[in-house]
Amino acid sequence: MRILPYLFYLYLLGLHVTILNDVTAIYGVTVDLAALLVILVALHKGDLTALWFALVVGIVVGSLRLDLMPWEMLILGAISLAIHQCSRRMNLESLTSRLLLLGGFLLLHKLTISLVLSTSDFALVLIRQVVPGTVYTLLFGWLFLLYRDGRLTWDKLKALF
Amino acid sequence: MKWTSTILGRNRRVIGFGTALLLLLLVTLFSTTVRPFIGNVSSALILYPFAELKGYISGLQNVTDENRRLKNSLVETSLQLSALAEARRENTRLREFLGFDAPEHFRVVPVKIISLYQQVYPLAAIINKGSNDSLVVDQPVINRFGLVGRIKEVMPGFATVQLLTDPTNAVSGRVAESRQFGIVRFSPQRGMYFDNLPADAEINDGDLIISSGLGGVYPAGLSIAIVDSVFAAKGEILKQVWLNPTVNLYEIEELYVLISDTL
Repeated sequence: MRILPYLFYLYLLGLHVTILNDVTAIYGVTVDLAALLVILVALHKGDLTALWFALVVGIVVGSLRLDLMPWEMLILGAISLAIHQCSRRMNLESLTSRLLLLGGFLLLHKLTISLVLSTSDFALVLIRQVVPGTVYTLLFGWLFLLYRDGRLTWDKLKALF
Repeated sequence: MKWTSTILGRNRRVIGFGTALLLLLLVTLFSTTVRPFIGNVSSALILYPFAELKGYISGLQNVTDENRRLKNSLVETSLQLSALAEARRENTRLREFLGFDAPEHFRVVPVKIISLYQQVYPLAAIINKGSNDSLVVDQPVINRFGLVGRIKEVMPGFATVQLLTDPTNAVSGRVAESRQFGIVRFSPQRGMYFDNLPADAEINDGDLIISSGLGGVYPAGLSIAIVDSVFAAKGEILKQVWLNPTVNLYEIEELYVLISDTL
């Protein structure tokens, strides 16, 4: 039963990479759900769990491009371990600190994957996709963290409208 | 077994990290065997259902687009079909008219109706030719079924045709069989009738009434009407004859003006 949430995350990722990625893209800027899920799991779960989840996420994302599979596994695995270490050693009580951590590692993931792909116009990719993509993904991470902290509830959403 | 589980329990983290590292190494090193295998398993388990769903949705979308395109095409085709059907009807009418011989010393000028003036029944028609096309007042107007009327007014590009259903338009006619003369008239109350026919004249239902040629407007022999019913009251000097015009004046479309060769 402990594996069920992770299966749910994986199927959510599957849904995202096959269908939702195109739907939610804004001028080519996409949500990096794989990194977001790995970071969120690493923030709240143990290092071994986070590492294995990161590897499986890397496999799922990499199955679309087999040449990227080891890179995705390596980068996501490294990020999961780094996040876990940060969460153990740093005071991440405040939302801002967690958002900074989230944003930093999201940017790191997108940057490294862009470097691996080594496009000639890297600066353009950085400005047009990496940074906006990080901000776009961070928005979802922020909403999730707000929800997890109980600061974003259905009642509050209803009160807004 | 107890010994094994003890080792596994104590070294759980090491085994976990070691296996993860091994998996990473396998995926990295065996790019043609392990990597595709793991990729296929992952695709089959996680991505395949959503890929199928995406294919289904995109299929539905294609069907919707195709449906919309076909509907538009259907509308365009039905419009074309209507135009073709109309052209076919016109073609049929014109082909029928090809067999029509104008009366001697007359030639026909085809005209089209621009508008029809009606008051319960049609009274006059405006046609698309006028004095520029040698049309003058009192020229007979026909269609392939028979006499329609005569030209009453002429302008350079237009002309007004006084139809047989105008009560002020009377035509000298005769019974085609018995050659009896009479006057074809129209009244809103009685419809078309044959006036001035003597009580002893020979006329029967279904007889054809044609123009007599008297009066100088219409040439002789143009079909005007079919006798609908004949009533001869005792003591009356004239027969009452009701007619059905050979031309349905509600459906006139292409008309032909008869122009004398002398003009």
